[in-house]
Amino acid sequence: MKFKVENGPHVKSEETTSKIMTRFLISLTPIVCFAIFKNCLLNYYYSSVTFIEAIHPMLMIISAVLTSFISELLYFKFILKDTWENSFYEINRSFTIIPGLLLALVLPPNTPIWLVIFGAFISNILGKMLFGGFGQNIFNPALLGYLFISVSYSSLMGSPLNAYEIDTLAGATPLSNLSNLNYYGTYEEVVGSFGTFLNFFVGTIPGTLGETSKMLIIISFIYLIATKTIKWRIPVMYILTAFIMTLIIGHNIELGIWYALFSILSGGLLFGAVFMATDPVTSPITPIGQTFYGISLGILTIVLRFLTPYPEGVMTSILFMNMLVPLFDKIGLYFKENIKKIWILIILFIALIILSVTTISNNIKNLNNENASNPLDNKVKIVKKEKKDNETIYSVTSKAWGIIKADVKVVDGKIENISITDSSGETQWNEIEKNDYINKIIERQDDIDNVDAISGSTYTSDGLKNIVKKIIESELEDEG
Amino acid sequence: MRKIYDFLFKENPVFVLVLGLCSVLAVTTTFEKSYTMGIVVLIILVLSNTIVSLIRKFVNTEIRIPVYIIIISTLVTIIEILLNKYSKPLYDAFGIYLPLIVVNCIILGRALSFASKNKVLPSIKDAFKSGIGYLVAISLFGLFREVLGSGKITIMNDISILTGYRFIIDVFNNEVLPNKLFLSSGGAFILLGLLIGVINAFNGGDE
Repeated sequence: MKFKVENGPHVKSEETTSKIMTRFLISLTPIVCFAIFKNCLLNYYYSSVTFIEAIHPMLMIISAVLTSFISELLYFKFILKDTWENSFYEINRSFTIIPGLLLALVLPPNTPIWLVIFGAFISNILGKMLFGGFGQNIFNPALLGYLFISVSYSSLMGSPLNAYEIDTLAGATPLSNLSNLNYYGTYEEVVGSFGTFLNFFVGTIPGTLGETSKMLIIISFIYLIATKTIKWRIPVMYILTAFIMTLIIGHNIELGIWYALFSILSGGLLFGAVFMATDPVTSPITPIGQTFYGISLGILTIVLRFLTPYPEGVMTSILFMNMLVPLFDKIGLYFKENIKKIWILIILFIALIILSVTTISNNIKNLNNENASNPLDNKVKIVKKEKKDNETIYSVTSKAWGIIKADVKVVDGKIENISITDSSGETQWNEIEKNDYINKIIERQDDIDNVDAISGSTYTSDGLKNIVKKIIESELEDEG
Repeated sequence: MRKIYDFLFKENPVFVLVLGLCSVLAVTTTFEKSYTMGIVVLIILVLSNTIVSLIRKFVNTEIRIPVYIIIISTLVTIIEILLNKYSKPLYDAFGIYLPLIVVNCIILGRALSFASKNKVLPSIKDAFKSGIGYLVAISLFGLFREVLGSGKITIMNDISILTGYRFIIDVFNNEVLPNKLFLSSGGAFILLGLLIGVINAFNGGDE
């Protein structure tokens, strides 16, 4: 008699990684098609862009996918020193194009091609291969690439608006519009400027390439769940938490249910929840772990959206939570055995939600009360004022990211010179210097409301503009 | 030649032993700050190893760590006062990381593991070995970080009070590089990881 000795696992499933990833790609196809339809065809039809400009989004997707493929192939061939045949075989198994494709879909449609290539390279090499290849990476590779290019080249990323959208829409994306309104506005202000909720649902609003069409994302989600490709708990809990939190916030600041609907239908929340947070490599495997992973993602996203100057928050929270995946797996295992103790976890998370919701509501109320009185008084303070004949020197502090301190010299009621004495709190100060922004605002001081802020350092620019406004106000008071 | 390479890269306290990373990650935003930090650590390392080796027969094993810490912190305080007097910009630029040299693992490590058991001359030789390894590592890292992060090589700026020259080379300034990421602390970690990876690959990995 012969015994057959084999190592585990002995149970074999029909579900191979190759099948799962193929279904993943199938579910992404309609989204890619819609992205091309909206950003290429509609753009070419409605505005006077050239052919090359119109197919730019398509080139972005193609170049990202190609870069992913080639960089991984070269890594296998020259760093790991495989044969060509072996390299191609490995590439087939490691689903090399998915990070590149996802990266292209979370970028705004006007991103330069070289930046996309750089991001895709970082995604596959730094985010995936250096960790040990498919299945070994801690962070979602596409998001790592996105983080790299959005941190280092935020000013070059380009606006998320297409040429035909710039003509009709004055603002930016729905979320940055909300952030500019200090998170409070009527239905017409927040939703109305982009159409109705139908536009949000179908996807004809400005945004990154893949995130706009919620309808297609939901269809893909249903397909992915029906074929058991992804775990339904993470996206469902994620979106539900975000919805409930914004519902309570909306109630606290006396806005209707549309506020919560707007919150989940705008930005990359649905796209991130369905395609990024459920990445099989970087998400928990225990059901309880998945549930609470989704809830934490929701809390973190809403907190980032409402309490920081960054209007999006989805990508950052997914990257951050990727780090805690082993912890959530341990929690899931522990509470699977001690299911009676699970109320500890539930109370903890409810407390977290209540805490963050009350903080956010109070913050929104404070922000808008400030605006009701004179907003400048809170932001800019005149510390010292010296008068000599027709010349006045002010020492002011202005609230931007940190606190800007400056000495302003005024001659005959006109600002002649602003010398900054302290700008250490500003992280994007070199953008200001690069654009010579201070001289720009001095030149156009009579028309200060129409000076654009520098993208990438909006807070600092606004802080500088407020100084000018305050000084002009104070000069007018002196005269009158 | 082989020997020099071995002691610079195969026995490097930063790249191979991964010691003393606090100052390596924190002060290396310019090349100048990096190599002056390296020199300061080298001087303190040599002096502390000499003193520790001289008094090794009078110090009990039980109380040796407090004694060594006092010796090292005395030296660091002397250097701190000297820098404050003669090169104020550099002193300001180092900030808290100058007093933190006291707890640099390389200095205490060499004192504990080598100087406390050996004669004076071998101890000084050992101090030079580790110190120069640290100097090379921090200068190399600072050079990479400054070239990538701000597109310049600052050779003399803060210490121009001492030397009388200012010497800054502009390498490039286009939209791709310099990349602000490498000046931030996160970028420092990524760059150091990549540098250690490349050097380990040349050393032949862990076999």
